[in-house]
Amino acid sequence: MITIIIFLTGLITFGSKWIIVDDDFMKIIPNDVQSKIEWDKITNEFGNVDLMFIAFGRKGFSIFNEKAFSDLWDVTQSLENISSVDEIISLSNLNRIDNVDDFIEVNNLQNSKFLSPEEIKSIHNYLKKNSQISKRLLSKNNNYTSIILKPKANVNYSDLVKEVLSVTKNKLSNWEVFYSGVPYTTGLAPELIQNDVQSLMKIGTLIMSFILLINLRNFYAVGLVFTVIIFSLLSMMGFMGWIVLLTNSEKFYFTLLNSSMPILVLTIANSDGVHVMTKFFKEIRKLKDKDKAIKSTMDALMLPIFITSLTTVAAFCTLIWAPLNPLTGYGLSIGFGIVWAWILSITLLPSLISLINWNINSNAIKDESILEKLTSKFSFYITNYPKHILTFGISLILLAGTGIKFIKVDVNYKTFFKTGTSIRESMEFIDEEMAGSLNIVFRIENDIKEPFVLKEMEKIQNFSELDSNVTLSMSIVDVIKQLHRSVMNDDSKYETIPEQRNEVNNLFTMYSLSGEPDDFSALVDYNYNVAIITALMKSVSTDQIYFFVKNMEDYIKNNISEDLNITIAGMLVAFRDLVNLIVESSLISIISAIFMIFLISLFFFKSLYWALLSILPLTSAVILNFGLMGFFGIKLSHVTAILSSIIIGVGVDFAVHYISIFRYKIKQGTKLETISNDVVNDVGYPVILDAGSNMAFGALLFSSFIPVQYIGGLMVFAMFSTSIGTLTILAASAEILKKYLNK
Amino acid sequence: MNKKYIYINIILTSLIFSNPGLKIAKQIENRAQPKDMKSILEMNLINKKGKQRKSSLKSFVKDGGKKQIAWFLSPADDKGIGYLKIEHDEKDDEMRIYLPAFKKVRRISSKKKSDSFMGSDLSYEDMSNRDINENIYNLLGDEIINDQDYYILEIKPKKSTNSEYSKHIAWINKSNILPFKEDSYDKSDKLLKQKYFHFTKINNYYVIDTMKVFNVQKNHNTVLTFKDIKINSNINDDIFQEKNLKRLIN
Repeated sequence: MITIIIFLTGLITFGSKWIIVDDDFMKIIPNDVQSKIEWDKITNEFGNVDLMFIAFGRKGFSIFNEKAFSDLWDVTQSLENISSVDEIISLSNLNRIDNVDDFIEVNNLQNSKFLSPEEIKSIHNYLKKNSQISKRLLSKNNNYTSIILKPKANVNYSDLVKEVLSVTKNKLSNWEVFYSGVPYTTGLAPELIQNDVQSLMKIGTLIMSFILLINLRNFYAVGLVFTVIIFSLLSMMGFMGWIVLLTNSEKFYFTLLNSSMPILVLTIANSDGVHVMTKFFKEIRKLKDKDKAIKSTMDALMLPIFITSLTTVAAFCTLIWAPLNPLTGYGLSIGFGIVWAWILSITLLPSLISLINWNINSNAIKDESILEKLTSKFSFYITNYPKHILTFGISLILLAGTGIKFIKVDVNYKTFFKTGTSIRESMEFIDEEMAGSLNIVFRIENDIKEPFVLKEMEKIQNFSELDSNVTLSMSIVDVIKQLHRSVMNDDSKYETIPEQRNEVNNLFTMYSLSGEPDDFSALVDYNYNVAIITALMKSVSTDQIYFFVKNMEDYIKNNISEDLNITIAGMLVAFRDLVNLIVESSLISIISAIFMIFLISLFFFKSLYWALLSILPLTSAVILNFGLMGFFGIKLSHVTAILSSIIIGVGVDFAVHYISIFRYKIKQGTKLETISNDVVNDVGYPVILDAGSNMAFGALLFSSFIPVQYIGGLMVFAMFSTSIGTLTILAASAEILKKYLNK
Repeated sequence: MNKKYIYINIILTSLIFSNPGLKIAKQIENRAQPKDMKSILEMNLINKKGKQRKSSLKSFVKDGGKKQIAWFLSPADDKGIGYLKIEHDEKDDEMRIYLPAFKKVRRISSKKKSDSFMGSDLSYEDMSNRDINENIYNLLGDEIINDQDYYILEIKPKKSTNSEYSKHIAWINKSNILPFKEDSYDKSDKLLKQKYFHFTKINNYYVIDTMKVFNVQKNHNTVLTFKDIKINSNINDDIFQEKNLKRLIN
């Protein structure tokens, strides 16, 4: 048996070599979401419009010096050579349009790596005259300059960021360097978070082993629990890989959403292992015979472990109806991990237990642990004060429940990182000193050479800049105005949109005589039918984006001609929709999972009372969770919503174990007077030990990343609320209803 | 004849014979060319998505392309725009454009040889005649393509030469010493452009009638077609003046 299970686990685990890690969260969004459609359209026409910002310089020193420009020249060229970079915009490769004595010159702003003081002064003067460029590329006090990096479409941001950092570390080692923008944060964050989580998980696992060891007081027992956990985790990852290999389904790619999977399976597998081991210790203490104790343990736990596994699998499988593709893979893979944990708990675990020579006279087996003794005392209160406990519990839930109305769905990517971390400080610097970290795009469809259209675009730009989060906007309108001024002898009063279409056209043709054919490709399409306005913004939350977009849409509806086909898109808008979808699907999944658990319990326990009681602790914990989040102002995000399913996963386990043992005791003829006492004595210990050991992952609260802190916090909260909920609300309800439950 | 010149002649001749690449370059340079050319130049720019921009110009060229005046005929938006270019050996080239919508003539910078010619994939360097003294020529071998025998000639600009390229590899037809294809490499030695040439014979002169340029790095194409070609029609030097930009001359 052991050989077969180890072989099968190894075979399944082998599949993990085909796991595909995909950090492109745009792929997560279903193709029929409007913001995704608009985003795809813009990417197809203009390439990637996500921008990465790199600022360098030194506080108190002007950037207008030879060294800065020579380094800027080098770093610009090196960044341009990165294969996943589409375009670099910096002072080093920007064109300048001058008009001196009727002589129009389109030339490089920086002509060579080494500049003379006169040339630097000339650049400085040009930028003073062209505030649009200086606002985009210079800090407020000219101490820093920005390099804007436009990646190619559909490139891996993690790889891109690695290459960029390697270039900047080499070329800008003498400067203070800051980074920001969606490609940077989404490219860097997964690895940083992964490293952070990995190190904290190691600490969590150590604490978990310590808690288990203190209570089980036996290395073999702890080792066996960990064997179930590790084998389940490996099998789940292997399963994902095999499915990718066999079906090539993107639904089973490992995305950012999937990063919470290991911790979920870990808690559930731990639950199975802990229940078997504690029950075995209890039985061997009583029966003094290893084989009989194994048989008795499995007799008592076979059904509850099966039902807990089935209900949890069913709960996670409800994710296949979620509108987001990766959630299907997420639900099914966790489901497989749970099934494997169940198989291991009923096959490998008893087999391994039977191989070990247990010392019946050891303290671990002979004596109850401290936790066991505590739960025995706890059972006294349940039996004696069930109504008080139930009233208190329900009042608490109802009170907390009122907090749900205060809950808000909101995500600010910047606040994912703790204040003081270099990534957060970098983003804040670029928000405050430069032109901002994010961008949003307006897509305008019409005849872009038509002055009327250009003027409408100018109105949109001006209105967008009224928003305090928008630092500046840019479009082909700015180029036209600059060209117009150049043609009209550099007279600033002509920095306007010309009145005639042929004037606009003449300006484009004039530029084309010395410019490149693709010079305007980031601003207008090849046939001048579609243009984009890019508004650069400070880091904002999805809520702020929602109001900005709504505000802009209202303005466009009331003030801009209907002839212009205008849509607003951007990573931020898509991100807002993604977060809403995840929250929505998580909530639907939680509700349908509770319903599914109710039906399964009804089927197996054949009692409406038991079915209702089985969902009581987890429903209470869910209400408590969201209610307290509302009261404490914790925003509901894609991270907090999806992790709330931990509550379902473990909540149902505790309840089903309690109910199964209660029914088992009834069948065994335990007196109704003492049944609750007996059940709490029996189930309370593994439930508290399971919850307590899982709480070790509260170590994640010390992460530098706020979402990871949420995972840690939720872990502690879920364990506490579901275990206490089971041993108070469920236990008290069962005590009160025991006469009916006995039928 | 002065002895010094005799020696130089001997050295040059021996150099040419010892360097077959240079010999071919000399043959190309010595190929008979018309004094001037009138044509309708059709330019088709195609971007990486296959979208096209078409325009046509009436063009007068003299002195091997050193003087050029052209007027846009189409698209309608561009009609009337005039363009004048005069290359100088000792000073910056002159370029002027007449903008009918503004009724203004503006001078345009032409300092950079790598600047695009009229927004196409051709640079002003591509449009200029190559000076044999500014390059090093190496014959790399030969190749038969579609039953035609070609020299494969490497052309490397000398260090002192101001060029956007590190080298060119040209396929020269052995029978008429006309280029068929040329690959041009950027300063990092990466392939930048692939050019294809087609010539037509008019009055014993081989005159280019089609040129296709593919910018490999930008995935952008330009097709230049010369139509209604008239050569040696004694175009007067006075034509190449700013005042003539404002009206189309036949």
